[in-house]
Amino acid sequence: MYNSYPLIIILVLFISAFAIPLFKSIKMARIIGISAAGISLVLSILTLIGVKANGAYYFRVGHFDAPWGIEFHIGIIEGLMGVLFMTVSMAVLWFSIYSIDHDLSKKKVPLFYTLVNLLVGSLLGIVFSDDLFNCFVFIEISSIASCGIVVVKDKKENIKAALKYLILSSLGSGLVLMGIALVYSLTGHLNMAHIHEALVSIYPEHSRNMLIAIGLFTVGLGVKSAMFPLHTWLPDAHTYAPASSSALLSALVLKAYVILYIKIIHRVFGMSIVGDLPVLNIVLLLGAVGMIAGSVLAILQKNLKRMVAYSSVAQMGYVFFGIGLGTTMGLAAAIFQIFNHAFTKSALFLSAGSILEKTGKKNISDLKGIGKEMPFTMAIFTIGGMSLVGIPLLSGFNSKWNFAVAVIEAHRVELLAVVLISSLLNALYYFPVIINGYFGEESLEGKVYRNTERPLKELLPIIVLVLGVIYFGVSGGGLLSLIEAGIPALN
Amino acid sequence: MGHLITNYYETGAIILFGVGFVTLLAHGNLIKKIIGMNIMDTAVFLFFIAKGYISGSEAPIIRSVKSATGYINPVPTALMLTGIVVAVSITAFALALTIRVYEKYGTVDLNEIIKMGGE
Repeated sequence: MYNSYPLIIILVLFISAFAIPLFKSIKMARIIGISAAGISLVLSILTLIGVKANGAYYFRVGHFDAPWGIEFHIGIIEGLMGVLFMTVSMAVLWFSIYSIDHDLSKKKVPLFYTLVNLLVGSLLGIVFSDDLFNCFVFIEISSIASCGIVVVKDKKENIKAALKYLILSSLGSGLVLMGIALVYSLTGHLNMAHIHEALVSIYPEHSRNMLIAIGLFTVGLGVKSAMFPLHTWLPDAHTYAPASSSALLSALVLKAYVILYIKIIHRVFGMSIVGDLPVLNIVLLLGAVGMIAGSVLAILQKNLKRMVAYSSVAQMGYVFFGIGLGTTMGLAAAIFQIFNHAFTKSALFLSAGSILEKTGKKNISDLKGIGKEMPFTMAIFTIGGMSLVGIPLLSGFNSKWNFAVAVIEAHRVELLAVVLISSLLNALYYFPVIINGYFGEESLEGKVYRNTERPLKELLPIIVLVLGVIYFGVSGGGLLSLIEAGIPALN
Repeated sequence: MGHLITNYYETGAIILFGVGFVTLLAHGNLIKKIIGMNIMDTAVFLFFIAKGYISGSEAPIIRSVKSATGYINPVPTALMLTGIVVAVSITAFALALTIRVYEKYGTVDLNEIIKMGGE
C-alpha cells in the first residue's frame, strides 16, 4: 500500500512546483505550495510507519527490474529523513506566510514557493533514489533551486552570494559526476546494489581506481555539504538569503548530500572496501577540524546571521566526525545529529531572521536588550543556542552524548577532547548574545517591553520546531534506537 | 606510460578535466569560470562516451537484427544526453546571474567584487 508513496511525494512536490506559476496570485501559490507539502508530510509519515513494521524495500520506478530500470530504496533511515524534511519544510513554509513579503517583491513571492517545492522534492529524490545517475540529476536540480531561493531576494549581496554558491556547487557536482563515471567504467552499473556486488568481486585489483572514485565523491559532496575547508560559499549564501531560505538551506540542503555520502560509503562501496582505504580517517580529521574551526570562525563574527551560519560549519563537522568514526554507533550519532541540527538550526535562523526583520539590526553588538523588546523570539533563540551548546534536556545534549559514547566504543578516547572543546566554543558565541539580550542594566534601559515582538501566532511555526528540539532532548532514546534499527538496511 | 597512450580518450578526458578545474578555481573573471565549468563537464562527457564505445561496432540503431555485440553500449550516450541538458541549464543560470552581477557591481571580476565587499 505505502510502496509507491515516496514516488508520489516527489511527483506531488514537482507538479505543484510547476503549477504555482500558472496562477500568478500569491494566495494560490501559498495554498498550492503548502497543501502539497502537507500531503507529502502525511505520505512520508505513512511510509515511515509502513517501513517500520515491514522493513526496507525496493520500489521499481516504471516497473523495470533493477539493472535496467531506476529503483528507490526505502528503509527506516530514508523514511525518517522523509518525515524530517517534510516537517521542517512545512514549518518553514508556514513561517514564510508571515515573513517572506518583507524580503521579496510581490512578483517574486510565487516564485519562492515554486523553488521551495522543487528544492524539497529534489532533496527527497536524492535521499530515496538507489541509482547514482538519478541522484546526480536530482543534485543538479537541487543546486539550481537552492541558488534560486538565495537570489530570489533581489539584492546586490544575494546575487554575489548565489553566484559564488552556484560556481562552487557545480564544481562539486562535476566531481561527483566524474566519480560516477569512474564507478560506471569499473562496474558497468549505476544501481547501487549492483555496483556494490561488482565492486566487491573486483576489489583487490582495482583498489586505486576505487580510492580515486571515493575521493571524488568525498570532495564533491563535501563542497556541497560544507565539509570544513570547502565551506567558503556557505556563510555568504546563508547570511544574505531571506530567513525562510536560510532555514531551509542549512536544515535540509546540507543534509541531503550527507545522506547521499553515507549511502555511497555504505551501500555502494561497503565498509569492507572503505575500511581498507584511508578515506574515513581523512573525513574524521576534517570533521574534527571543522567542529573547532567552524566555532572559532563563528566567535569572530559580528553579524548575527553570519555567526549562526558559521555555526552550521561546526555542526556539519560533527556529522562528518560521526561518519569518519566508521562504527555503527558513530553513524547513528551522525544521523541523530542531522535531526538535531535540522530542528535547532532552522529555529535559530527563523528567530534570527525575525530579529533582523523587526529591528533592522544585524550586528550582535546592536542587539543588547533585545530580550526585553522581543522576549519570545529571543527565548526561542536561547533554546536553540543552548541546544547546540549541549545543555541537558535539549536535543543537542543527546547528540553530543551519542558522539561521546561512539568515541568511547571506537576506543578513540582522545577524540572526546574534540567533542568537549567544540561544545565549550559553542557556548562562547551563543551565550554572549543571550546574556546581552536579557541582562545588563544599561542595555535594558529605554527598551519597551515587547516593543517589536511578533504576534504569538506568527511565532507558532518556530515554536513547533523548538518543541521538536525539546522532544528529542527529553526522549532521544526512541529516535536513536529507531536509527540503529535502520542502519543494517543501509548496507 | 604505455597505458596513457593506448587509453588516449581517457587521458585526454582527464587532462581536459584538470584544465577545466583549474580555470574554474584560479580565474577571477566570472565568464572564464563558467567556461572552465563547461570544459570540466565536457571532459566527463568524453570520458563517459569513450567508456561506451566498442571499437568496430555500430551505433545502436537497429535496422536488421544483429547480435548484441555488433553495437556500442548505448547507456553512456543516453546518460550524457541528460548530462548535456543539465550542464546547459546550469550554464544559462550562471550567465544570467553574471549579467545581474555586472548590472549591480559594474564588473565581472569576482576578486574585485569581493574587494568591494560592502554589507
